Amino acid sequence: MRAINIPRDGLPVTTARDMARDDSISGRFTLKTEVVVIGSGAGGSMVAWELARAGRQVLVVEAGPYHPSSAFTEHLGDTMTEIYREQAAQLNATADVLFPEGACVGGSTVIGACVMQQPPDSVLRRWSGELGLKNLAPDVIKPLFEEVGREQYVHLNDAHEINTTAHKVIQGCERMGFSWKPVSRNVRQCALTGHCLAGCPSDRKMSALVTHLPWAVGHGARVMADTEVTRVLIRNGRAYGVEAVVRDPRTRQKVADLRIDAEVVVAAGGAIQTPLLLQRSEIPDVSGQLGKNLAVQPFVQVLARFREELHGFRGALVGVEIDEFIETDGYMFFSALAEPEQLMIQGNQGAGPDHINFMKSYKHLAGLNAFAVDEGRGEVKWKGSHTDGRKVISWNPSRSEFEKLKHGAALASRVFFAAGAEEIYLPSFQRLSAPSVFDLDARLDEITYGVRGMYSLRINSFSSHGTCRMGVDRYQAVTNARGEVYDVKGLFVADASLLPEPMASAPHWTVQTLAKQVAQGIHARGQELFLKG
Amino acid sequence: MNNNNLPTAGLEPLTRRGFLRAATLTGMALTAGCASLGGRRTPNGEAVYAHLSEEEARVLTRLTEILLPTEQFGLPSSTGEVPTVANINDMAGDMAPQTRDLMAMVLWIFERRPMASFRFSRFTRLDDEEALRYVRAMQSGTFFERGLMTTLHTAVCVNYWRDSRTWPGLDYHGPVTGIWGVRRLGNAPMPTA
Repeated sequence: MRAINIPRDGLPVTTARDMARDDSISGRFTLKTEVVVIGSGAGGSMVAWELARAGRQVLVVEAGPYHPSSAFTEHLGDTMTEIYREQAAQLNATADVLFPEGACVGGSTVIGACVMQQPPDSVLRRWSGELGLKNLAPDVIKPLFEEVGREQYVHLNDAHEINTTAHKVIQGCERMGFSWKPVSRNVRQCALTGHCLAGCPSDRKMSALVTHLPWAVGHGARVMADTEVTRVLIRNGRAYGVEAVVRDPRTRQKVADLRIDAEVVVAAGGAIQTPLLLQRSEIPDVSGQLGKNLAVQPFVQVLARFREELHGFRGALVGVEIDEFIETDGYMFFSALAEPEQLMIQGNQGAGPDHINFMKSYKHLAGLNAFAVDEGRGEVKWKGSHTDGRKVISWNPSRSEFEKLKHGAALASRVFFAAGAEEIYLPSFQRLSAPSVFDLDARLDEITYGVRGMYSLRINSFSSHGTCRMGVDRYQAVTNARGEVYDVKGLFVADASLLPEPMASAPHWTVQTLAKQVAQGIHARGQELFLKG
Repeated sequence: MNNNNLPTAGLEPLTRRGFLRAATLTGMALTAGCASLGGRRTPNGEAVYAHLSEEEARVLTRLTEILLPTEQFGLPSSTGEVPTVANINDMAGDMAPQTRDLMAMVLWIFERRPMASFRFSRFTRLDDEEALRYVRAMQSGTFFERGLMTTLHTAVCVNYWRDSRTWPGLDYHGPVTGIWGVRRLGNAPMPTA
């Protein structure tokens, strides 16, 4: 019987600083393992745990730094500097759509808002029926969803987890006749600090930092931070390892070049980083779909000012959702109001006294994020050599996507007006607000599509997916139903890239469930994939 | 100064030349650690920054004054007490070269853009009322003018409001886990089969 020792607190992570101090490590070194997992977020941590507990030798490599929970300060500005990708400035090619991601051990699970949703059965039936992905049929995948839900302490928000911002949304929905419900979140004994976006210092958010990574470590997995995989090594249609660069996260100076020989390679860097890695690696792509089909689940935030003091930034960040429109129109709405810095993301709040007055009304504000399912027409592309190139994220709203988002903003505004808002701040690059519902349509009319929708609505995306979509047709998909890249044996994808179509649900739960399925599939094929069987 | 009745129109159109990408800075502004104002000063009292040229620092300082007239609202000064421009300087120091070049271009254009509409004057030479009118005109201008203005607005305002000294003025509580004595739970127990 193996002794399982889970660290009580934090993680044993090998960092660039550790490597720089180790005299036995020269400028170039090689490691061997059975499984190398690239990325330590929702997908990578799940794969690491599943395969480590199955007895496999697992090495997780993470490009970002290790930032233990105890180091979180609940200061969003500093957190963005330290553990958001590109300091929260990952943008599309026209620089008007933000793609915030976590870039640290634990990935985006560390800075996420804890929202957990399963796709409706109708979606799973379509994927299994029309797309032929039998592994996604409700009766096959639902038990895995439930297993992940238990691992993640997923629960419907209790009454005390619904703050004043959320109560305004509830009031508005009741008056509009819209269906709403408490949000499901992966939190254990939430302390109601409201600082989810800046990381959870008391380990209550069930991020990979406190769940699957320590569990994987308990089963013998190793974790390396500050280690960016530059390409997957492929020979004769078989992945046999990766090349990586270890950099000091503060100075960006290279500490070492690293090669990891592995029998199975799992890419789990997310729907933006994974296709870039596979493109740099020049994997065969007969489908021509690698990096394409980028769905971003765009959202805009409507802010409302109420007469009374709400202090809506207190309490659980996300309290309720409006579920009236998910299945019919692909809209999701989540209540949320974060730190003062976050208000700058919403849009333009005036200049001079106007701006100060807006900020002084912070305690009177409530926020509602309006998400829309998009058409999955975006693309992620690596341009240049694998060492010196750069990424390009191409996504701008089509006219219909733009109109959907605008309609979502209109619905959110009406909900707040129904709840008694005195003024609505619209999510546009213009300085637009509406003092009453009777002025709303005229203000919205001022937001026009313009040139490809650029610099018009203020759009963000936390939920990219679909760039290495799975499918049963090798000429239409990048991976097969097991998550294995077509024509590259031993190379798997286990993140949001796999999603076969744009989806309306928050993808975190789905990503972890797919990753679990991929990992269990790898384990089941042990004889075929591993030397020792 | 009454800022409520100022016209917002009046800018002549700009060319689109290489300009769209300038707004790369839209989210880039959400960055950088706070720094002390400290540092060197020129003989005429202007602060000298490691990662900003004199002109860039002058433009950003002036824009900070216009966007954030904080003292009249009882808030910490955006140019004295809170090191807004120094924070932007730190941010610039961490930028990739390509991004830094774009920021330089944005500031160069922003400084000279009023010359077409404000008696050939640069932004830093406009009086308070004209400068605010210029900012508002950019906010309601063409799509790339809006992008440029929003970028600079975000850069300046994030680097002011991120300072915890500004939070009492908003009745924002800031970090609470320590104040409330919330104990850490440590790693979650491994689920049983």
